[in-house]
Amino acid sequence: MSFTDILRAEFKLEYNDMLRRKSVLFMLIMYPYLFTLFALFIGYAGGSPEVFVEKFGLNPVLYLITSSYILMSILASVDVLLWRPLYDSENGTLVYIISSPVNRLKYYMALPFPRYTELLLMGATSILPVYVYYYGLEGVLLSLLVITLIAVGCVLMVPFAIFVAGVCHRVGESWRIINIVRPIVMILMGVYYPRFYIPLIGYIIGSLIPSSFIVEIIQRTLLHLESNTHLLMAIAFTLFFLYLPAGAWSIKAWEVKKVKEGVKIS
Amino acid sequence: MSRAIEVEKITKTYRVKSRRGLFKSSVEFVEAVKGISFTADYGSIVCLLGPNGAGKTTTIKILATLLLPDSGSARVAGYDVVKEASKVRENIGLMLTVEKGFYGKLNGRENLEYFAALYGLPRDIALKRIDHLVKLLELDKLGADRKLYEEFSLGMKARLSLARALLKDAPILLLDEPTLGLDPPSARKIRELVREMAHRENKSILYTTHNMFEAEIVCDRILLINKGVIVAEGSPEELKDKIPKLKVINLVIKASGDPGKPLERFTFRKEIKQEENSVFNVKIYVPRPEDVLGEIVKTLVNSGHEVVNVRVEEPSLEDVFIYYSEGSI
Ligand SMILES: Nc1ncnc2c1ncn2[C@@H]1O[C@H](COP(=O)(O)OP(=O)(O)O)[C@@H](O)[C@H]1O
Ligand SMILES: [Mg+2]
Repeated sequence: MSFTDILRAEFKLEYNDMLRRKSVLFMLIMYPYLFTLFALFIGYAGGSPEVFVEKFGLNPVLYLITSSYILMSILASVDVLLWRPLYDSENGTLVYIISSPVNRLKYYMALPFPRYTELLLMGATSILPVYVYYYGLEGVLLSLLVITLIAVGCVLMVPFAIFVAGVCHRVGESWRIINIVRPIVMILMGVYYPRFYIPLIGYIIGSLIPSSFIVEIIQRTLLHLESNTHLLMAIAFTLFFLYLPAGAWSIKAWEVKKVKEGVKIS
Repeated sequence: MSRAIEVEKITKTYRVKSRRGLFKSSVEFVEAVKGISFTADYGSIVCLLGPNGAGKTTTIKILATLLLPDSGSARVAGYDVVKEASKVRENIGLMLTVEKGFYGKLNGRENLEYFAALYGLPRDIALKRIDHLVKLLELDKLGADRKLYEEFSLGMKARLSLARALLKDAPILLLDEPTLGLDPPSARKIRELVREMAHRENKSILYTTHNMFEAEIVCDRILLINKGVIVAEGSPEELKDKIPKLKVINLVIKASGDPGKPLERFTFRKEIKQEENSVFNVKIYVPRPEDVLGEIVKTLVNSGHEVVNVRVEEPSLEDVFIYYSEGSI
């Protein structure tokens, strides 16, 4: 059973779905801009840009737009993994997935990638111009660095998202859970507020999320702060590998419950 | 080699919670399967024949590792459906409700490619297999290989669903009412292929239906299931033979009033159906029609009814079914 075959299948599914569904395509193009506007609105509501610059030494527009992009991309795995089994259940496809011999970890690992690529590509179109505007040509390099780091953060997020999704599905299958889990993960990742400024307890809890360390690397880079990039990366990757078995376990726990109740046909 | 499917005394009771008022809720128990046992071999089609709610889908789900039985055990391809679920999954092709189960924004071929990846088929083998199945089920002729699934007719959906069940060439097929609601050509195609898969490719097929006619023409062995119990089993011929040697007197009567009244003195099992205003169809199950036929007709005529037609028939499978589910004839 090859991971690339599953990945190819998922890419085909996601991209066909997107291209053949005009509203989704439209939203996807609009998404980064709406997100940016929203982030700027929140940002300005929280204080004037001068205060922000004084406090963090960085233009808030640049900071917020980067933060939005990070969130939008990295959280996609949590979204997809929470949403997909519910969709498949409704769509009548879940019975065929559960009764298939597919390696569960490979399958769930593959799920978020198509959406990741969409968001990373689309999102890039929103941050690249802003970076160039503020930094000139150097902005191109900087934004490429940031996009690359976010991509790493995305990958590192998947097993954690599988773990969270499995636990959530096991507790109760509901669309509403997404709306509870999403903001919690969002806050703990420390995206909108530089991570190293949040209270220690928050920092510790946030450290359970592998990608939070990548977020920190990005933030320190933007703020020109000293950072031990190697150490942060090492921690993030270690967490990634620790969440692999945890994710497999949580999906299994969910499936066991599911089969006990009986997987619904529709 | 072990048998393809071995089911031993499996039971399943669903718990159904229902709200009663604001704070009260009550739990009801539905005994869907009550200790059924059967076996199925390679190279043959076993049919679960029973009315709606008999427990057919529940049984299929248990064998497909989608539902745990409360008690009893089942083995598919020699593997325990509870303890060795992943081995079972490698050996089954599954077809549940024909209406859904694919992605609407993918066409027929793309849907098959998707599930081939899920089933672990290497890509080159998958593509060849899909080409073969698309032709076999005439999906190409119907244009269903290039059409989006959301635009499929029910017949196309059913064909695609059978194609998926055949994707990995599994030795065992579990097909739950595969022809339900289909257009006749699609239903015929599916029945034809199912027979071919069993007899030419030596697969073991468990096939459910509530249609007697279908069971009779498709299956090698029939398990009559009703209210979660297998009430009889055998080949279509054997099942008919198992009814105590009875014949059916089939009368069409133009009645003046209730034709049941004068027939009350005949204690055989009777079935009276009103066809039109005053036209009734009466079936009487008797061991020796020649002894009573004259008497019956005379009684009816004397009570002012007109006997339009009389036939003496062998019992149909439907008669067998009624016989077994409602006690004796
Ligand atoms: N998920 C479920 N929850 C509660 N009751 C169910 C469920 N699925 C089936 N039943 C009940 O169990 C019985 C058997 O159903 P089923 O196996 O679907 O029968 P069939 O497929 O022969 O029509 C029916 O009375 C049905 O209402
Ligand atoms: Mg059913």
